[in-house]
Amino acid sequence: MLRLEFRDVRITYTTQTASGRGEIAAVDGVSLVVEPGSTVGLAGESGCGKSTLAVSVLRLLPANAKVEGKILLGDENVSELSWGRLRSVRWTEASIVFQGAMHSLNPVRKVRDQIAEALIIHAKGVDAQYKQESARTARVNELLEQVGLPKAKGLSYPHELSGGQKQRIMIAMALACDPDLIIADEPTTALDVVVQAQVLDLLTALVRDRGLSLIMISHDLSVLAATCERIVVMQEGRIVEQGPSLKIMRNPQHPHTQALASAFPVIGDLSSRLKLPTYTAPNAPHAEPGAASVPHESRPALAARDLSVTFSARGSGAVRAVDSVNLTCNTGEIVALVGQSGSGKTTLARTLLGLQKPTSGEVLFEGTPLSHKRKALKVYRRAVQFVLQDPTAALNPKHSVYEAVAEGPRLHKLDGDERDIVAAALAKAELNPPEKFFTAIPQELSGGQRQRVVIAGALALEPEFLVADEPVASLDASVRAGVLALLLKLKCELGLGALVITHDLGLAWNIADRVVVMYQGRIVEEGPVEEVLLNPQHEYTRRLLSVVPTRESPVATAGAPLREQALENDAQDGVR
Amino acid sequence: MSAPAAQGKRINVAAARRRQRAVEVWKEFASNRAGLTGLIILVFVIALAALIPLFAPPSVLDVTQVTSPQNDPPSLENPLGTDPAGRSVLALLIWGARISLVVGFAATLVSMLIGTVVGMAAGHFTGATQAVLMRIIDFFLVVPGLVLAIVLSSVIGPGVATIVVAIGVTSWAGTARLVRSQTLTVESRPYIERAWALGAGDGHVITKHVLPAVMPLVLANTTLTVGSAIIAESTLSFLGLGDPSSISWGAMLKSALDTGAATGGYWWYVMPPGLAIVVVVLCFTLVGRALESVINPTLRGR
Repeated sequence: MLRLEFRDVRITYTTQTASGRGEIAAVDGVSLVVEPGSTVGLAGESGCGKSTLAVSVLRLLPANAKVEGKILLGDENVSELSWGRLRSVRWTEASIVFQGAMHSLNPVRKVRDQIAEALIIHAKGVDAQYKQESARTARVNELLEQVGLPKAKGLSYPHELSGGQKQRIMIAMALACDPDLIIADEPTTALDVVVQAQVLDLLTALVRDRGLSLIMISHDLSVLAATCERIVVMQEGRIVEQGPSLKIMRNPQHPHTQALASAFPVIGDLSSRLKLPTYTAPNAPHAEPGAASVPHESRPALAARDLSVTFSARGSGAVRAVDSVNLTCNTGEIVALVGQSGSGKTTLARTLLGLQKPTSGEVLFEGTPLSHKRKALKVYRRAVQFVLQDPTAALNPKHSVYEAVAEGPRLHKLDGDERDIVAAALAKAELNPPEKFFTAIPQELSGGQRQRVVIAGALALEPEFLVADEPVASLDASVRAGVLALLLKLKCELGLGALVITHDLGLAWNIADRVVVMYQGRIVEEGPVEEVLLNPQHEYTRRLLSVVPTRESPVATAGAPLREQALENDAQDGVR
Repeated sequence: MSAPAAQGKRINVAAARRRQRAVEVWKEFASNRAGLTGLIILVFVIALAALIPLFAPPSVLDVTQVTSPQNDPPSLENPLGTDPAGRSVLALLIWGARISLVVGFAATLVSMLIGTVVGMAAGHFTGATQAVLMRIIDFFLVVPGLVLAIVLSSVIGPGVATIVVAIGVTSWAGTARLVRSQTLTVESRPYIERAWALGAGDGHVITKHVLPAVMPLVLANTTLTVGSAIIAESTLSFLGLGDPSSISWGAMLKSALDTGAATGGYWWYVMPPGLAIVVVVLCFTLVGRALESVINPTLRGR
């Protein structure tokens, strides 16, 4: 078995910085030992150097990276391996499950050929049998079985598989040459909760059955706690805290660990209901006494009546993305629309915004049906604004913050001084002082600041309602809380209603008043947050709740029967 | 605060950023040795062509006023020899550069304008508009450009303007396809969706988001097209479709062929225009490639 040791490792990138060419230390003096057969979780926010550290094990760093210190794989120093030796180490002794399964698979080759690729490359010595086609076929079938996929799935192309199935293929690829060490780089980040639980279960089972060492990277502590014995928390290239998973989760010492741990609330914990580190709603169960609730009138703002959207799909006829949905959202209320990916929640949001024409049914705004005439739409769009998922992509990289925020007011020719409108909107989105941000371009801002700019752009039009599509899904844990606090504050102080689309039930628990659960295009359950999340009625809602990793009950033990059933469903899932 | 003051300040901010960006682009461009060499040679050629009346008045090209012998080989008096009419080949060459460059630039401008507008429209609009535009682009892609240009100039009559129109009209389709694909890429970005949600119309999306995104591509493509336009001009002039009274490099080659200079061993009348075409087109290509690598950093070092 293989022991991995980082001995005072320092990795620097030579790159273009604000002050000319310079060096950035991505990993700064890390020492860490991974004993054979142990599981280690690397936690930290984006840019903390966790991925750099992980890929350095196989020397997969880009050419502008420089490694100092020792990375010992067994008793060999990785940075001194000859090219031939390195090639044979890659995959046979240590392999990687890459982050985006959808981008790491070759779209034009069958997945079983991609799994076999590693076998062909390493078919020498003891593995020489894999030069034969039949031996390879048998091995690939075995691997597919190990990751819980039927043999026939191997004949699919990547686009025909769901996200979870693709991630399983990636794991099968990593297992192909029987490595002793597997590095999983954010293996579940792009997946929704149900699929995430399945992939985590699979990894846990493989580690248990085959005695692998596992290094798992994630920004979500609860995911790590579910699979790893030990958690190492990194910040700015250094290790700030490490220890057994349960201890880190229950009793974090370092402030950064505490921030990471508190970012994902525990559903049912009243101290995180309608309360975030920076803002507490007046009507929260744990609100400070004396904070009087400002009553806002609650009237129906946005409603869907018997709304259906059908897409024509090749081969299998039509797909009903949204199926006879009835929904009412009021002003001064945050409604969370939760569901797995593919449940039609984004299509519903786009239809509510008039970006997608409904196949049947209608969207009502303040009681009047939404028309698809250009003029009427423009008036409507002033009142209902959109906050997109990925703020980095939602801002034109060529436009300054000022231009991005002023875009709406210019389009609608708002009265008043443009500069004042922009400044006021930025201030409302808590970008203070606004003048400081006017000339900045998006790439100079952090992820959280970018999302605030998008929100400011929406607020500049003084809308009555916001539709937010996964507003924090692409953000780091620490800024997630800030953006959610902003949404909650806008609701409590300005009476702005919002429909927040998410697959994160913790988010709903944090800020929402009402939850709407969507499954396969239909709304299966809706009601006040406490009622739905603490006492779910529909079977699907229960399933969603059962797979949320929690601090007290790591996913590896909770709700196993339900998840196994889900796993079966996924395996039987037809070609998508 | 008064509105005009705010307006003024806003423009200053944008202008400052643009200036800063221009400096960055220049620095990156200048670090490309080949591109810089091409640019220096081009500036030299253009300056020479612009200033030639100061050194060699048009009278030196007047056949009735020449004093040198015909088909004289290179000498101190005529560094590149004389043509069959006794005119200095060097003077002809530099005067010819004027027409060749003007036609090259003008034809490229026509081609880029049509290509950008049609390309953006074909990428932005969907349905019937797009289908019709795409078929028009396809038509111009498959039509043999030279044949169409010959037909056009025989219909409109020979002349510089004819050549410009002929080249411009036949060479825009490639640009249009390029611009269309870039438009499609840009329009799939979420910030376009955000603009729609803010209440934007077609005009806003095209001018504020798509045009700035395709412009760098169009500019890099322009320098590449100028080169091929100069070749096309030489071809058309060589085939006798240009203005017979104006001198261009293609026209010089034609007259070399017509008067037997090419077969009579008078190499000094054939080589210079040929080499001039090669050098100028090469320089435009070098500059274009360098610009491309500035715009698209992934091409750097390839």
